[in-house]
Amino acid sequence: MVPVQWYLLLAAGIFCIGLFGVLTRNDALYFLMSVELMMNAANINFVAFAWYYSNLTGQVFALFVIALAAAEVAIGIGIILVMYRNFGDIDVTVPTEMRW
Amino acid sequence: MVDAFAYVPAVVLLPFFSFLVALGAGKYLPKGGAFGGIAATAGSFLLSIWIATAVAGGRAYDETLYTWAAGDQFELTFGALIDPLSALMLVIVTLVALLVHVFSLGYMNDEGETGLPRYYAGLGLFTASMLGFVVADNLLMAFMFFELVGLCSYLLIGFHFREPGPPSAAKKAFLVTRFGDYFFLVGVVAVFATFGTAAFAGEGSFPALAEAALAGSGDVWTPGGLGVETWFTVVGLLVLGGVVGKSAQFPLHTWLPDAMEGPTPVSALIHAATMVAAGVYLVARMYGFYALTPTTLAVIAFVGGFTALFAATMGVVKDELKQVLAYSTISQYGYMMLALGAGGYVAAVFHLTTHAFFKALLFLGAGSVIIAMHHNEDMWDMGGLRSKMPVTYYTFLAGSLALAGIFPFAGFWSKDEILYEALVHGLNEPLLLGGYVMGLLAVPVTAFYTFRMVFLTFHGEPRSATARDPEPVRWNVKGPLTVLGSLAVVTGFINMVPVQKVLGLEGIDYLHRWLDNEWGGIEGLSSHHYADIGPYSSGYIAGGEVPTVLVGAAVSLGLALAGLGLAWRLYNVASPTEHTAKLGGIKDVLYNNYYLDELQVWIAYRTEDIAGGSDTFDQGIIDGVVNGVSSVSLAGGSRVRRIQTGLVTQYATMLTLGLIALLVVLGLNGGWFL
Amino acid sequence: MILEALIGFTFLAALLVLLVPNEWAGRLAFALSAVPFVGSLYLWSRFDAAGNALTGGTIAFESRYEWVEVGGRTVSWFVGLDGISLPLVVLTTFLVPLAILSAWTPVDSRQSQFYGLMLFMEANLLGVFTALDFFLWFVFWEAVLVPMYFLIGIWGGPRRKYAAIKFFVYTNAASLLMFIGFMSLTFALGDSIGSLALPEITRALADGGLETWFGISPDRMAMVAFLAMFAGFAVKVPIVPVHTWLPDAHVEAPTPVSVLLAGVLLKMGTYALLRFNFTMLPEQASALAVPIAAIAVISVIYGAMLALAQKDLKRIVAYSSVSSMGYVILGLVVFTEYGVGGATFQMVAHGLISGLMFMAVGVVYNATHTRMVGDMAGMADRMPLTVGILVAGAFGYMGLPLMAGFAGEFFIFVGAFGAPSLPYAPVFTALAMFGIVIVAGYLLSAMQKTLFGPFRLETDYEVGPAPFHDVAPLAVLLAAIIVLGVAPDIFFEMIRDAAMPVVEGVSVDV
Repeated sequence: MVPVQWYLLLAAGIFCIGLFGVLTRNDALYFLMSVELMMNAANINFVAFAWYYSNLTGQVFALFVIALAAAEVAIGIGIILVMYRNFGDIDVTVPTEMRW
Repeated sequence: MVDAFAYVPAVVLLPFFSFLVALGAGKYLPKGGAFGGIAATAGSFLLSIWIATAVAGGRAYDETLYTWAAGDQFELTFGALIDPLSALMLVIVTLVALLVHVFSLGYMNDEGETGLPRYYAGLGLFTASMLGFVVADNLLMAFMFFELVGLCSYLLIGFHFREPGPPSAAKKAFLVTRFGDYFFLVGVVAVFATFGTAAFAGEGSFPALAEAALAGSGDVWTPGGLGVETWFTVVGLLVLGGVVGKSAQFPLHTWLPDAMEGPTPVSALIHAATMVAAGVYLVARMYGFYALTPTTLAVIAFVGGFTALFAATMGVVKDELKQVLAYSTISQYGYMMLALGAGGYVAAVFHLTTHAFFKALLFLGAGSVIIAMHHNEDMWDMGGLRSKMPVTYYTFLAGSLALAGIFPFAGFWSKDEILYEALVHGLNEPLLLGGYVMGLLAVPVTAFYTFRMVFLTFHGEPRSATARDPEPVRWNVKGPLTVLGSLAVVTGFINMVPVQKVLGLEGIDYLHRWLDNEWGGIEGLSSHHYADIGPYSSGYIAGGEVPTVLVGAAVSLGLALAGLGLAWRLYNVASPTEHTAKLGGIKDVLYNNYYLDELQVWIAYRTEDIAGGSDTFDQGIIDGVVNGVSSVSLAGGSRVRRIQTGLVTQYATMLTLGLIALLVVLGLNGGWFL
Repeated sequence: MILEALIGFTFLAALLVLLVPNEWAGRLAFALSAVPFVGSLYLWSRFDAAGNALTGGTIAFESRYEWVEVGGRTVSWFVGLDGISLPLVVLTTFLVPLAILSAWTPVDSRQSQFYGLMLFMEANLLGVFTALDFFLWFVFWEAVLVPMYFLIGIWGGPRRKYAAIKFFVYTNAASLLMFIGFMSLTFALGDSIGSLALPEITRALADGGLETWFGISPDRMAMVAFLAMFAGFAVKVPIVPVHTWLPDAHVEAPTPVSVLLAGVLLKMGTYALLRFNFTMLPEQASALAVPIAAIAVISVIYGAMLALAQKDLKRIVAYSSVSSMGYVILGLVVFTEYGVGGATFQMVAHGLISGLMFMAVGVVYNATHTRMVGDMAGMADRMPLTVGILVAGAFGYMGLPLMAGFAGEFFIFVGAFGAPSLPYAPVFTALAMFGIVIVAGYLLSAMQKTLFGPFRLETDYEVGPAPFHDVAPLAVLLAAIIVLGVAPDIFFEMIRDAAMPVVEGVSVDV
């Protein structure tokens, strides 16, 4: 039996990789992927605790998050495409129209 | 029998209706509504005579007619008070107003003026306001009509509003009298706060309460533990402020000469019987209160005497007919104030009566001359009018003799009595004696400027083309002049006190007996009562009453004749010259009215400077703070919003740092790291 | 139910006017606004209140429905009238139709929105003067600002945006201060109140229901709340030194809006001061009597001096409103029958007179397209009737007897001079009274310069007599001013009845 702490450490590790990606990159696609990583880290937590407490709620929630992630990717990719079309780049520092 | 007193409101309301008619329908009526005014004032005049006969029949009237505001604290009411004083004043006011209305037919209508409905509406309202003031039974009602009189003077002085001069003069008249009325209003409010009532007559009236309080038998409110007598003096002086403004006493007299910008009949009405008389009448009306405070009386007397002399000196150098009359008006009202201050209640009312007639006469006479001269008022362009307009000349002469105080014309009797009262009461009172001396010095000056005016206007050779061929005047001018001319001759005979004293005749001092409630009147409003509560005792010179009378009369008549003689020598020549160069440096001072106008203009400008300063302060500092708050917010906002870079990376950094900081703080608090 | 009908009808009328085409809006709005006026006259004829609504008097047309409960406090729809609010309701319904009539000439775009907002504002104003529940009252109080903001911001003069934002932010910030003050008072009252109804709160305060709350003692709480509410309402009145939004708002607002702003909106401030500060916390009011009287006097004199310095006719009238409102504050703070009653009467009187002045200046402006004193002269020659009424109105402003302004001012003066609860009352009163001289000074000189003398106009416009629908409201207002001045008791009687309990709330031996 693997104790639950290991799952949590794994999740924390994946989350930090995702966070590192968001903090260091300017590329929108990297952003998207990093966010996915962070969400999957959360999913691992959900499932791990569901297993630990013998309660199905966490697993159900993980399913919801997966569905949500799919929807988010669809919209995210759409935004990235529009951005590329308008600015010729997918660097997030380029669009500043709405700032201030 | 119908009660005359039931028609007291009608006396006031008739002219008011003529105001409404002239205002609403004047332009559809013949003569611009003049006949409505004439009918209304004639009706008021007849009713006044009827009311006066009712008073002579031994009755009086003091009723509250309308409750304006019925508070528990004070009840504010309108009412009518008819006693010998107000009955006499009603007759004077309505008579002069009637004659002025008739005269206006000649002065305004025949001259082709425009805006006549406005003119007659103004006259009607003026008369109504003055009558309302005369019958007022309490100080508040008196104040209200006093103010309305001021409004009407504004409207009438500014009648020719298309020219630059009259509106300015109207403004000045209202503003200067308003300044006086401010003190009056404070006085009214103080009277209410002190006594809880402002009624003139009766047991619960404020003079009666004041008398009781001074006698120690009543309790009145005074501010801040002030002594009763001190406080009464203050209240008396406050009300006096209004009197000084309206009756054009020094230093608030400056509006009156400017008010000559109004049409001449209006000048007659303002100066003879209404607005200017209102101030003196007010003091007479509440004399029961003034008589209680010697300080106030002394101030009144001194101001009056000073004004009499001061204004007379300015009249000496004026070139325009109406200007001379204006200064003589100020001077004559100074005499009345002197009389009131000297305890000569009857003398003041007597002079008020005679002056109303002879000054109305002089103004209307001047109006007649002005018609003849095609509205040129400069006396140096006149001359020799005596033969061309005899009716005007002889009536004007009668008025001038009365003004100068020449025996036996009306002015002699009244002025003599004033000086006599001031003398006998003043022998023990230095301030009063000062007033007397100034009043006496004004006598020759008065005679001099009066006859300078007469000689320049009517005698000698004509000095201009219009004077050689003057415009004729009609019955509507001559009629009023004749009536007033006869009154100027005979009015003095209603009160021949000197004759009574010297010859020992009893009962020919009719006015004394009238005002002493001998026929009828109200308890506490009689000259006897005023003398009883007044502070003065009589002293005599030359060993007794009769010699004092004779000496006093001889001195004043002699001085008047001296002034007349000087005027005769200087100006009753074929082609007179100015002679003012002999006055040297004083001439400029007199021409410029002692620079008092300049002083008031200076005060007005300084006030405007302060106002401008306040505005700068308001816009710069107070509004600056308000706008400053908004600028600081805006500037701060535009700085702070720079944090929002729009870069997700930076937001995420912030988030992470925040989370770590939170964890550290929680950890330290929770003791995780120990 | 009749008050609901009155307010509801006005709201519906506003909606209806919003929907009709621009050409009809003016006439329709005028016709519809006449209905509330008739309604308020009906209220007046059936008026049967006695005493003050807040201190347990009989409330006329009382109507109360529970609404929601928040934190143990019932909020209700609670409306009713007493002798203080009825005159203001009549004033509001009387001024709005006249203001609408005076808008026919100057408002030439987006009429249906303009008149709709005017009616919407009227409905809210009626709500302010009738509501007896704090929550309800506050909703109406704040809702008045919204139409005013748009009326100034859309139809105003060149600097309309600045003026509208300044007006809105300034008065709204003040409302916040007042709201905090009042709400902390209700929290400190704890269990002694079960609702936000004003009569109940007044009673609880009078019975000493304040408790120590968050370590704040009842005395300190009452004083702090008094100051917060006073500051909040002072902006609305306005009192020096928080008056500077007023001239800007007046100058930029179109004539009919100025009429309502000066005529009714300023009275919201003094009405609320009377209702909240002086009725609910009389002890604090008399403890602060001297400083309040001092700022009242400063408002009178300083406002008048500012008016003297102005060159724009509208600014002159705007600053003189500051001056006139100073009298009202003085009347309130002395706690005498004539003082408080006169202050309430002066609210109505000043509403009519300043309305007349703004309207008359507006009519002149319609013809000349300038309001600067130096730009014109001799207007009396071209527009005799308008100028005649303007002169009459100016004299009313100066406090000419037998016009409403004199009655209000005299009541205040006579009530204030001997007031026992205000130290140095005679000095304060006499100083404030000097305002009547300055007001005469600036109005007379402005009139002399613009109305009289030879005709001259700097702008290129043909000036002739004003149309009937411009002059008619002026004449009606003038008539009302004279009627109220000759017979002040038609309002003053009921005002006194409602003011006496407020006066008796203060022990004289303070």
